[in-house]
Amino acid sequence: MDRAGELQVSYRGDPAKLFPLALGTGVLGVVTLGIYRFWAKARIRRHVWEKVRVGDDAMEFTGTGLEMFLGFLMAVVVLAVYLAVVQLILFAVGIRFVLDPQNEMEEIAQGISIALSFLAVLPLMLFAAYRARRYKLARTRFRGIRFAMENAAGGYMLRGLIYLALTVVSLGLLWPLMTYRLEAYMTERTWYGGARFRQGGRWTGLYSAYFHVVVGIALIGLSVLVGIGGSPGLSGLLATVGAIWGMVGLVIYRVRAFGYLMSQKEMDGGLGFRAAPRAGRVVWLYIKGVFIVGLLGGVASAIIFAPLGSMMVGIEEASELVQLEFAVLGVALYLLLLTVFGALALVFISQPILGHFVESVTVTGAEALDAVRQRVSDRGADAEGLADALDMGGAF
Amino acid sequence: MRPAAEEAVFFDGISARRQVVEVTPDGRGLRFGRETWPLDRLRRIEGEGLVLALAVAEGDELPHDPARLVLAEGALAAWVRAEATGLARRDLRRGTGVKVAGRIALAGAALAAILFVFLPRISDLLADQLPMEQEVAFGQAVLRQVEGMLGAEDSLVCDNPAGLAALEKMERRLTEGQGLTYDIDLSVFDHEMLNAFAAPGGHVVILRGLLDEAETAEEVAGVLAHEIGHVEARDPVRLAFRTAGSAGILALVLGDVTGGTVIGLAGDYILRASYTREAEEAADAFAFALLARTGVGTEGLAAFFERIEGMGGDVPEILSTHPASGNRAEAARAAGTGATEPVLTEAEWQALRGICG
Repeated sequence: MDRAGELQVSYRGDPAKLFPLALGTGVLGVVTLGIYRFWAKARIRRHVWEKVRVGDDAMEFTGTGLEMFLGFLMAVVVLAVYLAVVQLILFAVGIRFVLDPQNEMEEIAQGISIALSFLAVLPLMLFAAYRARRYKLARTRFRGIRFAMENAAGGYMLRGLIYLALTVVSLGLLWPLMTYRLEAYMTERTWYGGARFRQGGRWTGLYSAYFHVVVGIALIGLSVLVGIGGSPGLSGLLATVGAIWGMVGLVIYRVRAFGYLMSQKEMDGGLGFRAAPRAGRVVWLYIKGVFIVGLLGGVASAIIFAPLGSMMVGIEEASELVQLEFAVLGVALYLLLLTVFGALALVFISQPILGHFVESVTVTGAEALDAVRQRVSDRGADAEGLADALDMGGAF
Repeated sequence: MRPAAEEAVFFDGISARRQVVEVTPDGRGLRFGRETWPLDRLRRIEGEGLVLALAVAEGDELPHDPARLVLAEGALAAWVRAEATGLARRDLRRGTGVKVAGRIALAGAALAAILFVFLPRISDLLADQLPMEQEVAFGQAVLRQVEGMLGAEDSLVCDNPAGLAALEKMERRLTEGQGLTYDIDLSVFDHEMLNAFAAPGGHVVILRGLLDEAETAEEVAGVLAHEIGHVEARDPVRLAFRTAGSAGILALVLGDVTGGTVIGLAGDYILRASYTREAEEAADAFAFALLARTGVGTEGLAAFFERIEGMGGDVPEILSTHPASGNRAEAARAAGTGATEPVLTEAEWQALRGICG
């Protein structure tokens, strides 16, 4: 404790411990045709959560692979009905131009019908995002006390759709409104034991973080105007600069928005946070991570494929059975290599970045913890199966 | 030998207060404060030092009490590791296996019901709602897709005038006065594949390979009658809708949510046209009746079935879902009436074979 009532949050992850775990569970995932991935996720989370320390005390993840697997089964059935029906209806509507557009109008219609089938899963993705966070919180404990989030994914989905539409209509300028309101919606429904969280601050407070994205948007807007004005060369240059500026700005925005929103959260009893993650550091960690993964991954692929390459000499004369065996071996090795890359990326890209975000946080007013009481457990119905089926699980 | 008492951190699972307690080992377990944790119910939680929980019958997602005891590495932790035999045990609640098996069976049954009952019903319903004009346009799009998949840069349709005249004569013989709901649109594609297929909207296509293989006009007419059977039963358009629906599920499994799969698959499905066995039998029955009524006779179709079966290897659609096409030849003969009048003259038959020339 540096100052009275303050707890530093730290991350004690160790690549040498996480890598064998990630690789081992990844290989089991390949061997079991993906079934093991739920148990893999549970084990990796148990490991990573435990490395997060608030003061001296660790977080604990109590979710199980079994419940995630069962949740996935449920989600697949729901999704199967939903997607099949949506596909069929879109097909029935778009039948004339889905296969082969005849003119410009039909090409536009085809574009719309493809966009629609994406839009059809958008509500589900928002729903799943909320459910996934809810599940993670419901399975997280600190000092033996459960976190929880209220069952309100439907409201989140509706708000998400509205704010997303506003963001698109405003050409991206209202993005901070969406970020703030959606985060506030989740925070205000988050509990630690019997203590509730609140989101302070204002959505306009995010604009200083959003500044560089606005510059990017403005440059692209300008390039359109210049293009109409009749100088395509300058227009293209402006568009390129604008796009790059905007993308870097987006990273800065994500990092600073996390800091702002985290710093403005408060828990009953006066517990609060201070967070100042640095965008430059995150970008550096990412570049460094990509470099390490590329290097080690390159070595791994040489080790994995070199023996196969030498055996391949003279394969054309081999019998069909031998050729088939080699094809199977090749696919297996390829999957193994993918697993190695996945594990490397987790250890050398995701973990350091997570570590930086975690370590940027300080808890203030920690005395409030002593008054927090336990809450009953949440059965967590689909255990983020929906998010898994939609393939939107992040690194952890 | 029992180690001395040690300080440890205790979270009672009721409040978030951090309590420092003195833990005393005794013969049956760990004593601290008012608690006694028996050795055989201690379970290890992943963490630094030795993090302990107490196994309980009920629990929540885990069969553990929420309270945690954190021992630093040392003599006491080592003693607990040696004495508590169940530290690493994974307690499963009674009935977990049954529950898991039940859920898997339920999910499998639900998916099967969706794929084989719900989807076919709803796609048939939607297919029946499709206006004829749209179906014809859709069929044309499918034909263009098929041409593209057969590797054609531009149209494959054969248009030798004498051949077309022979083709039209054959078409009239099979369709005129038969009261068909579809206006059959017959064409030949210049491709060596031995195949014929029906597309939505009454389009029936013969590939040149079939003309090369067939020995008489009656054989071709027999295959045509079979395809017209599919057309009249609306099989192609139903198949397209079912494909669209199951592509939705396939896309889910493959993680492709943009719907690109549907577009990619539709043409392929039509070309390989895997209709159900019932649909094939119905098309056969339709063909036998049509061939008898029009006086073409079923002998040609029977001969064709026999010869194709003898070839092995790449089997065209009209035989693909039937394991024993020998029986079909017999069925065709049994249903058969002799031919009253040839479909084409020898000259016309030669013209048809040269339609792509």
